[in-house]
Amino acid sequence: MVNAQADSRLKRGALVGAILAAFAALAALSIWTLQPETSAKRGFAYDMESLRKIDPALIKFQEERRIETGFAKVAGLALVGRSSGSPGGPEGRPTQSGGVLLVAGDNSVRAFGPDGKLAREIKLSGPACAVAVAQDGKVYAGLRDHVEVYDGQGVLLGKWESFGKEARITALTVAAEDVFIADFGPRVVWRCDLSGKVRNKIGVRDEARNVPGLIAPSPYLDLAFGADGLLYVNNPGRFCIEAYTPAGDLEHSWGKPAMGVDGFCGCCNPVSFALRPGGGFATSEKGVARVKMLDADGNLESVVAAPASFGEEAFGIGVALDGEGRVYVLDTGTRAVRVFNKKKELSDQDAAGK
Amino acid sequence: MPPENEKNCARREFLRTGLQGAALVGLGALAGRLVTPSASQKTVWQIDPAKCIQCERCAVNCVLKPSAVKCVHAFKLCGYCRPCFGFFQPDYNALNAGAENQLCPTGAIERSFVEDPYYQYVINEPLCIGCSKCVKGCTAFGNGSLHLQVRHDRCVNCNECSIAVSCPSNAFVRVPASQPYLIKGKEHA
Repeated sequence: MVNAQADSRLKRGALVGAILAAFAALAALSIWTLQPETSAKRGFAYDMESLRKIDPALIKFQEERRIETGFAKVAGLALVGRSSGSPGGPEGRPTQSGGVLLVAGDNSVRAFGPDGKLAREIKLSGPACAVAVAQDGKVYAGLRDHVEVYDGQGVLLGKWESFGKEARITALTVAAEDVFIADFGPRVVWRCDLSGKVRNKIGVRDEARNVPGLIAPSPYLDLAFGADGLLYVNNPGRFCIEAYTPAGDLEHSWGKPAMGVDGFCGCCNPVSFALRPGGGFATSEKGVARVKMLDADGNLESVVAAPASFGEEAFGIGVALDGEGRVYVLDTGTRAVRVFNKKKELSDQDAAGK
Repeated sequence: MPPENEKNCARREFLRTGLQGAALVGLGALAGRLVTPSASQKTVWQIDPAKCIQCERCAVNCVLKPSAVKCVHAFKLCGYCRPCFGFFQPDYNALNAGAENQLCPTGAIERSFVEDPYYQYVINEPLCIGCSKCVKGCTAFGNGSLHLQVRHDRCVNCNECSIAVSCPSNAFVRVPASQPYLIKGKEHA
Protein backbone atom coordinates (compact mmCIF):
# COMPACT_ATOMS: atom_id res chain seq x y z
CA MET A 1 0.00 0.00 0.00
CA VAL A 2 2.75 2.37 1.06
CA ASN A 3 4.75 1.32 -1.96
CA ALA A 4 1.80 2.01 -4.28
CA GLN A 5 1.41 5.54 -2.84
CA ALA A 6 5.13 6.20 -3.23
CA ASP A 7 4.99 4.93 -6.77
CA SER A 8 2.06 7.17 -7.60
CA ARG A 9 3.84 10.20 -6.03
CA LEU A 10 6.95 9.38 -8.01
CA LYS A 11 4.98 9.16 -11.26
CA ARG A 12 3.21 12.47 -10.55
CA GLY A 13 6.55 14.11 -9.77
CA ALA A 14 8.06 12.77 -12.98
CA LEU A 15 5.07 14.05 -14.97
CA VAL A 16 5.30 17.53 -13.43
CA GLY A 17 9.04 17.52 -14.04
CA ALA A 18 8.55 16.54 -17.65
CA ILE A 19 5.93 19.29 -18.17
CA LEU A 20 8.22 21.89 -16.57
CA ALA A 21 11.13 20.71 -18.70
CA ALA A 22 8.96 20.96 -21.81
CA PHE A 23 7.95 24.53 -20.88
CA ALA A 24 11.60 25.45 -20.27
CA ALA A 25 12.59 23.98 -23.62
CA LEU A 26 9.78 25.88 -25.37
CA ALA A 27 10.82 29.14 -23.70
CA ALA A 28 14.47 28.59 -24.69
CA LEU A 29 13.41 27.81 -28.26
CA SER A 30 11.30 30.98 -28.45
CA ILE A 31 14.18 33.13 -27.23
CA TRP A 32 16.59 31.42 -29.61
CA THR A 33 14.37 31.87 -32.64
CA LEU A 34 13.94 35.59 -31.91
CA GLN A 35 17.65 36.24 -32.39
CA PRO A 36 18.46 37.74 -35.79
CA GLU A 37 21.45 35.42 -36.18
CA THR A 38 19.17 32.44 -35.67
CA SER A 39 16.61 33.68 -38.13
CA ALA A 40 19.45 34.06 -40.60
CA LYS A 41 20.43 30.44 -40.10
CA ARG A 42 16.92 29.15 -40.53
CA GLY A 43 16.48 30.98 -43.82
CA PHE A 44 14.76 34.26 -42.93
CA ALA A 45 17.84 36.13 -44.06
CA TYR A 46 19.27 36.07 -47.52
CA ASP A 47 21.76 33.23 -47.37
CA MET A 48 24.42 34.25 -49.86
CA GLU A 49 26.90 31.68 -48.59
CA SER A 50 24.93 28.71 -49.87
CA LEU A 51 24.64 30.41 -53.26
CA ARG A 52 28.39 30.94 -53.39
CA LYS A 53 29.26 27.27 -52.91
CA ILE A 54 30.72 25.45 -55.91
CA ASP A 55 31.78 21.83 -56.22
CA PRO A 56 35.60 21.98 -55.92
CA ALA A 57 35.89 19.30 -58.62
CA LEU A 58 34.58 21.84 -61.14
CA ILE A 59 37.33 24.36 -60.39
CA LYS A 60 40.05 23.45 -62.86
CA PHE A 61 42.04 26.66 -62.82
CA GLN A 62 44.23 28.34 -60.26
CA GLU A 63 45.50 31.86 -59.97
CA GLU A 64 48.98 32.13 -61.43
CA ARG A 65 49.74 35.78 -60.77
CA ARG A 66 48.29 39.25 -60.34
CA ILE A 67 49.05 42.38 -62.24
CA GLU A 68 48.33 45.43 -60.10
CA THR A 69 46.85 48.18 -62.25
CA GLY A 70 47.18 51.00 -59.72
CA PHE A 71 43.78 52.33 -60.75
CA ALA A 72 41.15 53.45 -58.27
CA LYS A 73 38.44 52.28 -60.69
CA VAL A 74 38.84 49.81 -63.52
CA ALA A 75 36.69 49.54 -66.63
CA GLY A 76 38.05 47.08 -69.18
CA LEU A 77 41.02 45.22 -70.58
CA ALA A 78 42.46 44.08 -73.90
CA LEU A 79 45.40 42.02 -75.04
CA VAL A 80 47.61 43.48 -77.76
CA GLY A 81 47.26 41.76 -81.10
CA ARG A 82 43.54 41.36 -80.75
CA SER A 83 40.55 43.24 -79.51
CA SER A 84 39.06 42.75 -76.09
CA GLY A 85 37.57 39.34 -75.66
CA SER A 86 37.89 38.11 -79.24
CA PRO A 87 39.56 34.81 -80.12
CA GLY A 88 42.78 36.18 -81.39
CA GLY A 89 41.34 39.20 -83.08
CA PRO A 90 39.56 39.51 -86.39
CA GLU A 91 42.00 37.20 -88.09
CA GLY A 92 41.73 34.62 -85.36
CA ARG A 93 45.41 34.83 -84.55
CA PRO A 94 45.89 33.84 -80.94
CA THR A 95 47.85 36.22 -78.79
CA GLN A 96 50.92 34.66 -77.28
CA SER A 97 51.56 34.84 -73.57
CA GLY A 98 54.26 37.41 -74.15
CA GLY A 99 51.71 39.97 -75.30
CA VAL A 100 51.05 43.37 -73.86
CA LEU A 101 48.03 43.86 -71.67
CA LEU A 102 46.03 47.09 -71.80
CA VAL A 103 43.77 48.12 -68.95
CA ALA A 104 41.31 51.02 -68.99
CA GLY A 105 40.65 52.75 -65.71
CA ASP A 106 40.38 56.17 -64.10
CA ASN A 107 41.35 58.65 -66.85
CA SER A 108 43.83 56.57 -68.77
CA VAL A 109 44.82 53.35 -70.47
CA ARG A 110 47.84 51.58 -68.99
CA ALA A 111 49.96 49.06 -70.87
CA PHE A 112 51.64 46.26 -68.95
CA GLY A 113 54.46 44.19 -70.40
CA PRO A 114 54.82 40.42 -70.24
CA ASP A 115 56.55 40.83 -66.88
CA GLY A 116 53.45 42.58 -65.53
CA LYS A 117 55.25 45.90 -65.15
CA LEU A 118 53.77 49.18 -66.31
CA ALA A 119 55.22 49.89 -69.76
CA ARG A 120 53.39 53.10 -70.66
CA GLU A 121 50.29 55.12 -69.97
CA ILE A 122 47.95 56.90 -72.36
CA LYS A 123 46.14 59.83 -70.76
CA LEU A 124 42.60 60.28 -72.00
CA SER A 125 40.43 63.40 -72.06
CA GLY A 126 38.05 61.87 -69.47
CA PRO A 127 37.19 58.71 -67.55
CA ALA A 128 38.02 55.52 -69.43
CA CYS A 129 35.16 53.08 -70.03
CA ALA A 130 36.64 50.51 -72.44
CA VAL A 131 39.68 49.70 -74.55
CA ALA A 132 40.45 47.68 -77.68
CA VAL A 133 43.46 47.27 -79.92
CA ALA A 134 43.47 46.96 -83.71
CA GLN A 135 45.79 44.68 -85.66
CA ASP A 136 47.82 47.71 -86.72
CA GLY A 137 48.48 48.53 -83.07
CA LYS A 138 46.13 51.49 -82.81
CA VAL A 139 44.48 51.80 -79.43
CA TYR A 140 40.75 52.57 -79.34
CA ALA A 141 39.67 53.98 -75.99
CA GLY A 142 35.99 54.24 -75.16
CA LEU A 143 35.00 57.17 -72.99
CA ARG A 144 31.48 57.84 -71.74
CA ASP A 145 30.03 59.02 -75.05
CA HIS A 146 32.82 58.89 -77.64
CA VAL A 147 35.91 57.06 -78.84
CA GLU A 148 39.49 58.32 -78.91
CA VAL A 149 42.10 56.71 -81.15
CA TYR A 150 45.80 56.67 -80.23
CA ASP A 151 48.89 55.22 -81.82
CA GLY A 152 51.07 52.74 -79.99
CA GLN A 153 53.07 55.56 -78.43
CA GLY A 154 50.02 57.27 -77.00
CA VAL A 155 49.74 60.06 -79.59
CA LEU A 156 46.14 61.10 -80.19
CA LEU A 157 45.15 60.28 -83.79
CA GLY A 158 41.48 61.13 -83.64
CA LYS A 159 38.53 61.92 -81.45
CA TRP A 160 35.18 60.69 -82.72
CA GLU A 161 31.91 62.52 -82.44
CA SER A 162 29.71 61.86 -79.44
CA PHE A 163 27.11 59.12 -79.70
CA GLY A 164 24.68 61.40 -77.88
CA LYS A 165 23.79 62.69 -74.44
CA GLU A 166 22.47 59.30 -73.31
CA ALA A 167 25.50 57.36 -74.50
CA ARG A 168 27.42 55.25 -72.04
CA ILE A 169 30.05 53.12 -73.75
CA THR A 170 30.82 49.86 -71.95
CA ALA A 171 32.92 47.89 -74.47
CA LEU A 172 34.35 48.02 -77.97
CA THR A 173 36.12 45.75 -80.39
CA VAL A 174 37.90 46.30 -83.68
CA ALA A 175 37.47 44.11 -86.77
CA ALA A 176 39.21 44.54 -90.11
CA GLU A 177 37.05 47.40 -91.40
CA ASP A 178 34.68 47.96 -88.50
CA VAL A 179 34.67 49.14 -84.94
CA PHE A 180 31.81 47.85 -82.80
CA ILE A 181 30.86 49.88 -79.76
CA ALA A 182 28.52 48.62 -77.02
CA ASP A 183 26.43 51.52 -75.72
CA PHE A 184 24.50 50.92 -72.50
CA GLY A 185 22.55 54.19 -72.84
CA PRO A 186 20.30 53.28 -75.78
CA ARG A 187 21.15 49.55 -75.39
CA VAL A 188 22.66 49.18 -78.85
CA VAL A 189 25.89 48.25 -80.54
CA TRP A 190 27.13 50.90 -82.96
CA ARG A 191 28.91 49.56 -86.03
CA CYS A 192 31.28 52.25 -87.28
CA ASP A 193 33.95 52.44 -89.93
CA LEU A 194 37.50 53.09 -88.86
CA SER A 195 36.95 56.85 -88.99
CA GLY A 196 33.99 56.71 -86.61
CA LYS A 197 31.16 57.06 -89.12
CA VAL A 198 28.15 54.99 -88.05
CA ARG A 199 27.27 52.23 -90.51
CA ASN A 200 24.40 50.60 -88.68
CA LYS A 201 23.00 49.71 -85.27
CA ILE A 202 22.88 46.19 -83.87
CA GLY A 203 20.66 44.80 -81.13
CA VAL A 204 17.70 47.13 -81.51
CA ARG A 205 14.39 45.38 -80.95
CA ASP A 206 12.94 44.46 -84.33
CA GLU A 207 10.18 41.88 -84.47
CA ALA A 208 10.28 41.74 -88.26
CA ARG A 209 13.91 40.59 -88.12
CA ASN A 210 13.30 38.42 -85.05
CA VAL A 211 15.64 40.53 -82.92
CA PRO A 212 14.35 40.63 -79.32
CA GLY A 213 16.58 43.58 -78.43
CA LEU A 214 19.29 44.07 -75.88
CA ILE A 215 18.16 44.21 -72.26
CA ALA A 216 20.73 45.61 -69.87
CA PRO A 217 19.41 46.44 -66.40
CA SER A 218 22.90 47.44 -65.32
CA PRO A 219 25.78 48.90 -67.38
CA TYR A 220 27.48 45.70 -68.48
CA LEU A 221 27.21 45.22 -72.22
CA ASP A 222 30.18 43.37 -73.67
CA LEU A 223 31.07 42.20 -77.16
CA ALA A 224 33.63 40.27 -79.17
CA PHE A 225 34.16 39.72 -82.87
CA GLY A 226 34.72 36.08 -83.78
CA ALA A 227 36.88 34.41 -86.38
CA ASP A 228 33.59 33.18 -87.90
CA GLY A 229 32.76 36.75 -88.88
CA LEU A 230 30.00 37.11 -86.31
CA LEU A 231 29.69 39.69 -83.59
CA TYR A 232 28.96 38.18 -80.17
CA VAL A 233 27.11 40.37 -77.67
CA ASN A 234 25.93 39.53 -74.16
CA ASN A 235 22.27 40.18 -73.47
CA PRO A 236 22.32 40.19 -69.66
CA GLY A 237 18.61 40.87 -69.18
CA ARG A 238 17.87 37.77 -71.22
CA PHE A 239 20.73 35.76 -69.66
CA CYS A 240 22.32 34.88 -72.97
CA ILE A 241 25.03 35.60 -75.50
CA GLU A 242 23.80 36.44 -78.98
CA ALA A 243 25.59 36.20 -82.31
CA TYR A 244 24.87 38.85 -84.97
CA THR A 245 26.04 39.40 -88.48
CA PRO A 246 27.71 42.79 -88.91
CA ALA A 247 24.51 43.91 -90.66
CA GLY A 248 22.54 43.21 -87.47
CA ASP A 249 20.79 39.92 -88.22
CA LEU A 250 20.52 37.67 -85.20
CA GLU A 251 22.03 34.30 -86.07
CA HIS A 252 21.76 32.40 -82.82
CA SER A 253 21.94 32.72 -79.05
CA TRP A 254 22.42 30.54 -76.02
CA GLY A 255 22.19 30.87 -72.24
CA LYS A 256 19.70 30.32 -69.45
CA PRO A 257 18.98 31.87 -66.07
CA ALA A 258 19.89 29.70 -63.08
CA MET A 259 21.36 30.17 -59.65
CA GLY A 260 23.29 26.93 -60.19
CA VAL A 261 26.69 27.03 -61.83
CA ASP A 262 25.34 25.74 -65.15
CA GLY A 263 23.37 28.94 -65.85
CA PHE A 264 23.64 32.70 -65.47
CA CYS A 265 22.60 33.86 -62.01
CA GLY A 266 20.78 36.86 -60.61
CA CYS A 267 18.82 39.48 -62.48
CA CYS A 268 21.28 40.17 -65.30
CA ASN A 269 24.27 38.15 -66.36
CA PRO A 270 26.83 37.52 -67.81
CA VAL A 271 28.55 40.88 -67.41
CA SER A 272 31.57 40.05 -69.52
CA PHE A 273 32.88 37.30 -71.76
CA ALA A 274 35.64 36.30 -74.15
CA LEU A 275 35.74 33.89 -77.06
CA ARG A 276 38.03 30.88 -76.80
CA PRO A 277 40.40 30.29 -79.72
CA GLY A 278 39.17 26.75 -80.24
CA GLY A 279 35.49 27.66 -79.85
CA GLY A 280 33.53 28.27 -76.71
CA PHE A 281 33.43 31.08 -74.20
CA ALA A 282 34.83 32.34 -70.93
CA THR A 283 32.13 34.22 -69.02
CA SER A 284 32.07 36.39 -65.93
CA GLU A 285 29.06 36.94 -63.64
CA LYS A 286 28.29 39.39 -60.86
CA GLY A 287 26.09 38.82 -57.80
CA VAL A 288 27.45 35.35 -57.32
CA ALA A 289 30.77 36.36 -58.85
CA ARG A 290 32.30 33.58 -60.88
CA VAL A 291 34.21 32.98 -64.10
CA LYS A 292 33.44 29.87 -66.12
CA MET A 293 34.60 28.06 -69.22
CA LEU A 294 31.81 26.99 -71.56
CA ASP A 295 31.80 25.06 -74.80
CA ALA A 296 30.52 26.46 -78.11
CA ASP A 297 26.92 25.50 -77.20
CA GLY A 298 27.15 27.16 -73.82
CA ASN A 299 27.52 23.98 -71.76
CA LEU A 300 29.63 24.28 -68.63
CA GLU A 301 33.10 22.80 -68.91
CA SER A 302 34.81 24.10 -65.81
CA VAL A 303 35.06 26.93 -63.33
CA VAL A 304 37.98 29.32 -63.63
CA ALA A 305 37.33 31.45 -60.56
CA ALA A 306 34.79 30.53 -57.88
CA PRO A 307 32.81 33.12 -55.90
CA ALA A 308 35.21 32.62 -52.99
CA SER A 309 37.97 34.05 -55.18
CA PHE A 310 36.31 37.47 -55.14
CA GLY A 311 35.73 39.94 -52.35
CA GLU A 312 32.26 41.07 -51.31
CA GLU A 313 30.46 42.85 -54.17
CA ALA A 314 33.52 42.37 -56.44
CA PHE A 315 33.48 40.56 -59.77
CA GLY A 316 35.34 40.27 -63.04
CA ILE A 317 34.41 43.29 -65.13
CA GLY A 318 36.55 42.12 -68.02
CA VAL A 319 37.77 38.76 -69.31
CA ALA A 320 40.41 37.98 -71.93
CA LEU A 321 42.27 34.86 -73.05
CA ASP A 322 45.74 34.36 -74.41
CA GLY A 323 46.84 31.74 -76.90
CA GLU A 324 48.03 29.41 -74.17
CA GLY A 325 44.72 29.14 -72.40
CA ARG A 326 45.37 31.62 -69.64
CA VAL A 327 42.37 33.59 -68.47
CA TYR A 328 42.84 37.26 -67.59
CA VAL A 329 40.18 38.58 -65.22
CA LEU A 330 39.90 42.25 -64.33
CA ASP A 331 38.74 42.26 -60.71
CA THR A 332 36.65 45.26 -59.60
CA GLY A 333 37.55 44.61 -55.97
CA THR A 334 41.34 44.41 -56.08
CA ARG A 335 41.54 46.46 -59.32
CA ALA A 336 44.14 43.93 -60.45
CA VAL A 337 44.27 41.72 -63.52
CA ARG A 338 44.24 38.22 -62.13
CA VAL A 339 45.78 35.59 -64.38
CA PHE A 340 44.37 32.09 -64.08
CA ASN A 341 45.90 28.99 -65.61
CA LYS A 342 44.89 25.35 -65.68
CA LYS A 343 45.85 23.48 -62.53
CA LYS A 344 49.20 21.81 -63.00
CA GLU A 345 47.98 18.24 -62.61
CA LEU A 346 45.32 18.88 -65.25
CA SER A 347 47.85 20.45 -67.62
CA ASP A 348 50.06 17.37 -67.13
CA GLN A 349 47.12 15.10 -67.89
CA ASP A 350 46.36 17.10 -71.04
CA ALA A 351 49.99 16.80 -72.12
CA ALA A 352 50.00 13.06 -71.45
CA GLY A 353 46.78 12.71 -73.42
CA LYS A 354 48.38 14.34 -76.41
CA MET B 1 13.01 121.60 -7.82
CA PRO B 2 16.34 119.70 -8.16
CA PRO B 3 19.35 121.62 -9.31
CA GLU B 4 20.38 121.37 -12.99
CA ASN B 5 23.49 119.15 -12.36
CA GLU B 6 21.41 116.67 -10.29
CA LYS B 7 18.88 116.43 -13.12
CA ASN B 8 21.76 115.63 -15.58
CA CYS B 9 23.10 112.99 -13.21
CA ALA B 10 19.72 111.25 -12.99
CA ARG B 11 19.34 111.27 -16.78
CA ARG B 12 22.86 109.81 -17.21
CA GLU B 13 22.10 107.18 -14.58
CA PHE B 14 18.87 106.30 -16.36
CA LEU B 15 20.62 105.99 -19.73
CA ARG B 16 23.46 103.89 -18.25
CA THR B 17 21.03 101.55 -16.54
CA GLY B 18 18.96 101.32 -19.66
CA LEU B 19 21.98 100.50 -21.83
CA GLN B 20 23.21 97.90 -19.33
CA GLY B 21 19.77 96.32 -19.30
CA ALA B 22 19.61 96.25 -23.11
CA ALA B 23 23.10 94.73 -23.27
CA LEU B 24 22.07 92.04 -20.76
CA VAL B 25 18.93 91.24 -22.75
CA GLY B 26 21.03 91.04 -25.93
CA LEU B 27 23.58 88.77 -24.29
CA GLY B 28 20.79 86.54 -22.96
CA ALA B 29 19.23 86.30 -26.41
CA LEU B 30 22.59 85.47 -27.93
CA ALA B 31 23.28 82.80 -25.31
CA GLY B 32 19.80 81.39 -25.80
CA ARG B 33 20.34 81.29 -29.53
CA LEU B 34 23.62 79.46 -29.06
CA VAL B 35 22.22 76.96 -26.58
CA THR B 36 18.94 76.21 -28.39
CA PRO B 37 19.46 74.76 -31.89
CA SER B 38 17.50 76.46 -34.60
CA ALA B 39 15.20 74.51 -36.88
CA SER B 40 17.92 74.30 -39.50
CA GLN B 41 20.42 72.87 -36.99
CA LYS B 42 18.03 70.28 -35.59
CA THR B 43 19.10 66.78 -36.50
CA VAL B 44 17.35 63.46 -36.91
CA TRP B 45 18.43 59.84 -37.33
CA GLN B 46 18.98 58.38 -40.79
CA ILE B 47 20.61 55.35 -42.38
CA ASP B 48 23.58 55.87 -44.66
CA PRO B 49 22.84 53.37 -47.47
CA ALA B 50 26.52 53.12 -48.32
CA LYS B 51 27.25 51.75 -44.84
CA CYS B 52 24.20 49.53 -44.34
CA ILE B 53 25.02 45.80 -44.38
CA GLN B 54 21.39 44.56 -44.19
CA CYS B 55 21.86 42.83 -40.84
CA GLU B 56 18.09 42.79 -40.07
CA ARG B 57 18.46 44.54 -36.71
CA CYS B 58 16.37 47.50 -37.90
CA ALA B 59 13.33 45.21 -37.97
CA VAL B 60 13.67 44.08 -34.36
CA ASN B 61 15.46 46.80 -32.42
CA CYS B 62 13.23 49.85 -33.04
CA VAL B 63 11.07 50.99 -30.12
CA LEU B 64 8.17 51.08 -32.58
CA LYS B 65 6.45 47.93 -33.80
CA PRO B 66 6.63 47.69 -36.75
CA SER B 67 9.91 49.49 -37.10
CA ALA B 68 10.18 53.11 -38.32
CA VAL B 69 12.76 51.83 -40.78
CA LYS B 70 11.28 51.02 -44.17
CA CYS B 71 12.56 49.95 -47.53
CA VAL B 72 12.50 52.74 -50.11
CA HIS B 73 12.99 52.41 -53.82
CA ALA B 74 15.26 54.65 -55.89
CA PHE B 75 13.51 54.17 -59.22
CA LYS B 76 16.26 56.05 -61.04
CA LEU B 77 18.65 53.19 -60.24
CA CYS B 78 16.24 50.31 -60.79
CA GLY B 79 16.80 47.96 -63.72
CA TYR B 80 13.08 46.98 -63.75
CA CYS B 81 14.27 43.38 -64.02
CA ARG B 82 11.83 40.60 -64.75
CA PRO B 83 13.58 38.32 -62.27
CA CYS B 84 14.16 40.89 -59.49
CA PHE B 85 16.10 39.32 -56.65
CA GLY B 86 14.80 41.88 -54.23
CA PHE B 87 11.39 40.42 -54.97
CA PHE B 88 12.00 36.72 -55.74
CA GLN B 89 13.46 33.96 -53.63
CA PRO B 90 16.75 32.77 -55.15
CA ASP B 91 15.14 29.34 -55.64
CA TYR B 92 11.81 30.60 -56.97
CA ASN B 93 9.45 28.10 -58.59
CA ALA B 94 8.18 30.51 -61.20
CA LEU B 95 8.56 34.18 -62.04
CA ASN B 96 5.17 35.18 -60.71
CA ALA B 97 3.92 36.87 -57.55
CA GLY B 98 2.93 33.62 -55.86
CA ALA B 99 3.64 33.80 -52.13
CA GLU B 100 6.02 30.84 -52.35
CA ASN B 101 8.19 32.77 -54.82
CA GLN B 102 8.36 36.02 -52.87
CA LEU B 103 11.29 36.97 -50.71
CA CYS B 104 9.47 39.55 -48.58
CA PRO B 105 8.06 37.90 -45.44
CA THR B 106 5.10 40.31 -45.39
CA GLY B 107 4.44 40.65 -49.12
CA ALA B 108 5.24 44.35 -48.97
CA ILE B 109 6.56 44.62 -52.52
CA GLU B 110 4.04 45.04 -55.33
CA ARG B 111 5.16 43.84 -58.77
CA SER B 112 3.50 45.14 -61.91
CA PHE B 113 4.18 44.68 -65.62
CA VAL B 114 5.46 47.71 -67.51
CA GLU B 115 6.43 46.36 -70.94
CA ASP B 116 8.30 43.28 -72.10
CA PRO B 117 10.50 42.40 -70.26
CA TYR B 118 10.28 45.16 -67.65
CA TYR B 119 8.49 45.10 -64.30
CA GLN B 120 8.01 47.79 -61.68
CA TYR B 121 8.42 47.17 -57.95
CA VAL B 122 6.67 49.41 -55.42
CA ILE B 123 6.98 49.21 -51.62
CA ASN B 124 3.75 49.02 -49.66
CA GLU B 125 5.11 50.87 -46.63
CA PRO B 126 2.49 49.93 -44.04
CA LEU B 127 3.38 46.28 -44.66
CA CYS B 128 7.16 46.76 -44.66
CA ILE B 129 8.88 45.78 -41.40
CA GLY B 130 12.36 46.94 -42.43
CA CYS B 131 13.88 43.45 -42.43
CA SER B 132 16.21 44.34 -45.33
CA LYS B 133 15.86 40.97 -47.02
CA CYS B 134 14.92 42.61 -50.33
CA VAL B 135 17.72 45.14 -49.91
CA LYS B 136 20.24 42.33 -49.60
CA GLY B 137 18.96 40.60 -52.74
CA CYS B 138 18.87 43.82 -54.74
CA THR B 139 22.32 44.88 -53.58
CA ALA B 140 23.86 41.49 -54.34
CA PHE B 141 22.34 40.89 -57.75
CA GLY B 142 20.85 44.13 -58.99
CA ASN B 143 21.67 47.81 -58.95
CA GLY B 144 21.00 48.34 -55.25
CA SER B 145 17.97 50.52 -55.88
CA LEU B 146 16.14 49.10 -52.84
CA HIS B 147 17.55 50.50 -49.59
CA LEU B 148 16.50 51.21 -46.02
CA GLN B 149 15.59 54.62 -44.63
CA VAL B 150 14.20 55.88 -41.33
CA ARG B 151 10.73 57.22 -42.14
CA HIS B 152 10.20 60.46 -40.30
CA ASP B 153 6.43 60.41 -40.45
CA ARG B 154 6.67 57.78 -37.67
CA CYS B 155 10.18 57.89 -36.15
CA VAL B 156 10.05 59.42 -32.65
CA ASN B 157 13.70 60.50 -32.90
CA CYS B 158 14.90 59.04 -29.61
CA ASN B 159 18.02 60.68 -28.23
CA GLU B 160 19.57 57.25 -28.01
CA CYS B 161 18.15 55.37 -30.98
CA SER B 162 17.98 51.71 -30.03
CA ILE B 163 18.75 50.63 -33.59
CA ALA B 164 21.74 52.95 -33.85
CA VAL B 165 23.14 51.48 -30.64
CA SER B 166 23.04 47.97 -32.07
CA CYS B 167 23.97 48.82 -35.68
CA PRO B 168 27.12 46.81 -36.45
CA SER B 169 28.26 49.02 -39.31
CA ASN B 170 27.59 52.45 -37.78
CA ALA B 171 25.21 53.17 -40.61
CA PHE B 172 22.97 55.30 -38.37
CA VAL B 173 23.95 58.94 -38.65
CA ARG B 174 22.49 62.28 -37.62
CA VAL B 175 21.36 64.42 -40.54
CA PRO B 176 19.78 67.89 -40.65
CA ALA B 177 16.03 67.75 -40.04
CA SER B 178 15.60 69.99 -43.07
CA GLN B 179 17.13 67.24 -45.26
CA PRO B 180 16.19 64.08 -43.40
CA TYR B 181 16.71 61.46 -46.15
CA LEU B 182 19.76 59.89 -47.78
CA ILE B 183 18.12 58.52 -50.90
CA LYS B 184 20.40 56.63 -53.24
CA GLY B 185 21.16 58.38 -56.49
CA LYS B 186 23.47 57.99 -59.40
CA GLU B 187 26.48 58.41 -57.13
CA HIS B 188 25.66 54.96 -55.71
CA ALA B 189 25.35 53.26 -59.10
